[in-house]
Amino acid sequence: MVDIETMSRYVSPINPAVFPHLTFVLLGIGIFFTAWFFVYEVTSNKQTRDIKKELLVSLVASIFSGFGILFLLLSVGIYV
Amino acid sequence: MLKINTKTGLSSLIIFTVLLLAWVAGFSSRLFAVIRFESIIHEFDPWFNYRATAYMVENGFYKFLNWFDERAWYPLGRIVGGTVYPGLMITSGSIHYILHLLNIDIHIRDICVFLAPVFSGLTAISTYLLTKELWSAGAGLFAACFIAIVPGYISRSVAGSYDNEGIAIFALQFTYFLWLKSVKTGSIFWACMTALSYFYMVSAWGGYVFIINLIPLHVFVLLLMGRYSNRLFTSYTTFYILGLLLSMQIPFVGFQPIRTSEHMAASGVFALIIAVAALKYLQTMLSKSEFKSLFIVGALVAAAVVFLAVVVLTYAGYIAPWSGRFYSLWDTGYAKIHIPIIASVSEHQPTTWFSFFFDLHVLVTTFPAGLWYCIKNINDERVFVVLYALSAVYFAGVMVRLMLTLTPVVCMLSGVAFSVLLDLFLREEDTHRSGDSDVDDEQTTSSNRRLYDKAGRVPKMKHEQVRESDGIGANIRSIIIVVMLLLLMLFAVHCTWVTSNAYSSPSIVLASYGNDGSRQILDDFREAYYWLSQNTDDNARVMSWWDYGYQIAGMANRTTLVDNNTWNNSHIALVGKAMSSNESAAYDIMTSLDVDYVLVIFGGVIGYSGDDINKFLWMVRIAEGEHPKDIREGDYFTEHGEFRVDSEGSPTLLNCLMYKLSYYRFGELKLDYRSPSGFDRTRGAVIGNKDFTLTYLEEAYTTEHWLVRIYRVKKPHEFNRPRIPFSNRVVKSQSFISKKNTKRKKGTIKNKPVIVKGKKLLKQA
Amino acid sequence: MLKLIIIAFLFTNFHTKTTNGAIINKNVERVIDLSTQLVKISSAITLENTGKDAESKYIITLEPNSIRNLSFISAKDSYKEELKVTETKNELGQVFSVKLNHPLAASRTSTINVEFVLTNSLVPYPSSIVQKDKQLVRYFGNHYFYSPYLTTKQTTSVIVNTRSIENYSKLKPVSQSDSSITYGPYNDVAALTVDPMIVHFENNAPFLSVTRLERLIEVSHWGNIAVEENIDILHTGAKLKGSFSRYDYQRDTSNNHHSIKSYKTILPAAAHSVYYRDSNGNISTSQVRARKDWIELELRPRYPLFGGWRSSYMLGYSVPSYQYLYKGVNNQYALRMRLIDNVFDDMHVEYLETSVVLPVGVTNVKLSTPYEVERLSDSIAYKYLDTKGRPIIRFAKRNLVEQHIQDLEITYEWQPLLLLHEPVLLSIALYLLFIVVIIYVRLDFSISKPEHVKTQ
Repeated sequence: MVDIETMSRYVSPINPAVFPHLTFVLLGIGIFFTAWFFVYEVTSNKQTRDIKKELLVSLVASIFSGFGILFLLLSVGIYV
Repeated sequence: MLKINTKTGLSSLIIFTVLLLAWVAGFSSRLFAVIRFESIIHEFDPWFNYRATAYMVENGFYKFLNWFDERAWYPLGRIVGGTVYPGLMITSGSIHYILHLLNIDIHIRDICVFLAPVFSGLTAISTYLLTKELWSAGAGLFAACFIAIVPGYISRSVAGSYDNEGIAIFALQFTYFLWLKSVKTGSIFWACMTALSYFYMVSAWGGYVFIINLIPLHVFVLLLMGRYSNRLFTSYTTFYILGLLLSMQIPFVGFQPIRTSEHMAASGVFALIIAVAALKYLQTMLSKSEFKSLFIVGALVAAAVVFLAVVVLTYAGYIAPWSGRFYSLWDTGYAKIHIPIIASVSEHQPTTWFSFFFDLHVLVTTFPAGLWYCIKNINDERVFVVLYALSAVYFAGVMVRLMLTLTPVVCMLSGVAFSVLLDLFLREEDTHRSGDSDVDDEQTTSSNRRLYDKAGRVPKMKHEQVRESDGIGANIRSIIIVVMLLLLMLFAVHCTWVTSNAYSSPSIVLASYGNDGSRQILDDFREAYYWLSQNTDDNARVMSWWDYGYQIAGMANRTTLVDNNTWNNSHIALVGKAMSSNESAAYDIMTSLDVDYVLVIFGGVIGYSGDDINKFLWMVRIAEGEHPKDIREGDYFTEHGEFRVDSEGSPTLLNCLMYKLSYYRFGELKLDYRSPSGFDRTRGAVIGNKDFTLTYLEEAYTTEHWLVRIYRVKKPHEFNRPRIPFSNRVVKSQSFISKKNTKRKKGTIKNKPVIVKGKKLLKQA
Repeated sequence: MLKLIIIAFLFTNFHTKTTNGAIINKNVERVIDLSTQLVKISSAITLENTGKDAESKYIITLEPNSIRNLSFISAKDSYKEELKVTETKNELGQVFSVKLNHPLAASRTSTINVEFVLTNSLVPYPSSIVQKDKQLVRYFGNHYFYSPYLTTKQTTSVIVNTRSIENYSKLKPVSQSDSSITYGPYNDVAALTVDPMIVHFENNAPFLSVTRLERLIEVSHWGNIAVEENIDILHTGAKLKGSFSRYDYQRDTSNNHHSIKSYKTILPAAAHSVYYRDSNGNISTSQVRARKDWIELELRPRYPLFGGWRSSYMLGYSVPSYQYLYKGVNNQYALRMRLIDNVFDDMHVEYLETSVVLPVGVTNVKLSTPYEVERLSDSIAYKYLDTKGRPIIRFAKRNLVEQHIQDLEITYEWQPLLLLHEPVLLSIALYLLFIVVIIYVRLDFSISKPEHVKTQ
């Protein structure tokens, strides 16, 4: 058994006070890229479509949205 | 090429954004009750739906279909699986299932609470699609925004109002959209989709009858107008056959689609359209005059055969005549005379002019304009919407509840009207500008007031210069636009106000406001139900008026005698009779029904007007319908024909069970210093019979504000003789005196079998 | 081999049998506190070693009929230092042996304080009463201090906290003052003497027991610990006979009633997002008051509780992790948290089940508890966004009181990189959706090609 007295108190790696702001920023960027992606999908046709661009934009969108959703959950009190 | 692409991109982005905003606005304006109170199921019927859903989630779908609920309608029970429209439960059950597959462990109650608001967004989208088929995308966006926030629809779909209508309106609109699509394209694919969507609607709500009559009516009118086409033939025949087969898969519907009068129009039209198609086919082979005579004869014969077949089958008993509820749609006085139980429900009353305005506000005035435009530019699908509008207006006038079917069409046609108006005054070279101005208007309606100025000014400035030649002056143009936007803004304000004030009360939690604006929550219903659930025997049977049956089953989990599924009138009448008889007569009924507890709602302390004394006359009327010898409505009125609870009241009333249970010991209570003791705040009178005791019942629990009073029915040994302490009890010896004494020691056998000679004893044989 | 076992058995038997008769109880001052629903007996015992060898062990025990109601026992020496109490079994039944911090030398004296808490020992008599009656209870005890040693001198005072004492057994010398009865002094009482004592008095303290308490602690390394307690309560006092009258209840404004209107629960000072609900939703009648060192929650059940009535509710709150979670070297983490927390003052919990949900991917979990608990099998919970479950450490214990509110310790190893598990999962799921869209727009479902495509 490890002695607790020698341990330091554990704090969250990110201050819970900034969760809402992080949610806002990350989700905003995520939604922007998502919109970009879908507008691109709608406006381009088979000839003009560029798979690399699609994959890249959707990757950025999904990363930002993913983290945004996580912080949204955390800020509403669902601690995953 | 590129220019068009960016335009389509932008307009689809705008449409998407507007629909999303409509969804968000619709969702959030339905959350008043959740924010003010909590995430809770409202009112009466939703409690049953919730209970059934929870049962399904717990026990699986097949157990649910076979569910025999012995806790309802004691001692009869209820076959729940066969008497519900399971669409609602399946919808929320499958959402629950999917979320739990993803390990999102949300409680089924929260899914049920938020189901209706989420579906309101889907309704908005399907309304958009439907209106787009009818008119234009701009009108569709208007319609979507209207339906998202219109009170007539919100009244049935606030968070917590977990009822069939919440998802049924979506299914209704979507079915109509698919139907128009299939009529337009004549493709079997869309007709099949229509049938599937119709199947969902059938599984969700009894209002599917509206679809299965409206679509045939549409086809019939198109035939009359000479608008027969192969597209119509394909779509209707496909839809009818598939829809018929699918609808019969719902256990509750069963064979009704081929055996009741309500569904006969659809099959009649089916026969008719086949006859017409056959004639059209013959037309290609025959000469004109031959065809004319054949047409007349053929049409007459076909119509006569269909009509006669229906009549004969009805008389032969194969087709059920119209049900009482259906009759009451044609004759508003019918229910009041023949079926008091239908008339006793407030939502079955005829609609007042006031509630049209209350539920639809400005739309009620703009929708005739949209209707006129549709009639003016008639085509196949606008015929449909005209018929939809006319029939829905009629039904909404008959029953408050059917306001719900009127609301979507009003939104659609108002959307058309506003769109035409905008087109006229903001005429644009390209579609994207008109889409843009629509967007801004939508945002205005979704209660964003600050955008209003911007939306009003920007288009106005642009078009001043462009259309000088149109004959409409710049001033008129701007005035009309400002007025229109003002109307839309007022509409949004009105919708929010109505939603917040009229439709967002859970009705199981009451709130009262003090003079200083502080809010006090009256949680008496849940207090009483929770008491029942924790402190009574698990199999205890609770008698109450049918309004509270579902709540008792849902919140207290106890057996009830009657509930909101009013399928057995005589059972309800029996409960009504018990409530309106005097105590000893009521005791006989209660013991015959094995009642353990009686629950009454009493609002006299806090002035709650929906209590049992105010509903009492309906109990008397319903009881009188079944037991005219024992209960007479006239006995409960004073000589002047008044219903009053004070000392002038009729003695029958002052001694009936309901009166005694409501006012037991109330005569001693002084509510405040000014009023005398026993002052009933709801009726505004001092009660007439103050000092009485109960012989057959005892008070088991009364909630904090006396709103719910629960009485225990005593067992016979508890009241018909005084209780003797155990030590004083003397067991009576039997009056048998032994004849044995010292002299006669020989005993005799009692009931000695007599043996008749010559006969065998049966036992030995 | 067998011989060895027998010898060992004999030895242990011999060892426990010796209740080191050299010790005598020189003076015992016993206080029996009956003012609440619990029976709290504290005894100050002055020991004397009359033998020749130093003794370091002292045996305490309880009357056979009260030992099954024993919930908690503790012993302290005269410096208020905790003494180690171990439970053993010998021919007296269940006994407790106290290890003295300093061995008691021959013919020396020492003082120890022993505290017992008994539950279910106050029996309502009459067992059912009507609404306006007072609640009377009876206590069955022993006039003498029950000890395996000779007791030279002893006094007992019984605190009942009421003037209305119906009846009490009178073993002279006895005296009654305001709210207590004093028995004794009695001299030279032989070991294990029982003389039944009965006190019958009015007790309107809340007789409330928690029949089942499920405590769930969820640890999240995003900086939060969520606690949820599912509590079933039962009024264990005299049962309500006949009807409940709201009118009489509203008129009776005195606080001194056997029914329970509300009670207070103490939460940690850092608790936030408190909720109080039951199966029918939120219970609106509660108040939160922040005190300096704790949060006081005044809970009102939906209805006043009378004898025999039950209720159940759910209480939950969150606390920041830095209060209870510690971080060591090598990704070592430790959780130190209360195993059971306050439900109400003088509480009695019949059955406790505590579950601790640890984060995803912990290894090497070790649990240590301040007293013996029954360890239940570990299970796995799937919470939001979990692909692999989180381990749950579960254990249970019966018959607990306030004195059991102590800390448990759980240590485990965990990789901080696992924090990224959930967001990466979310991102991958979203990316898959996008890819589905990308594939979808490249598909063509139509059977025949539309005209304009053909011409192009």
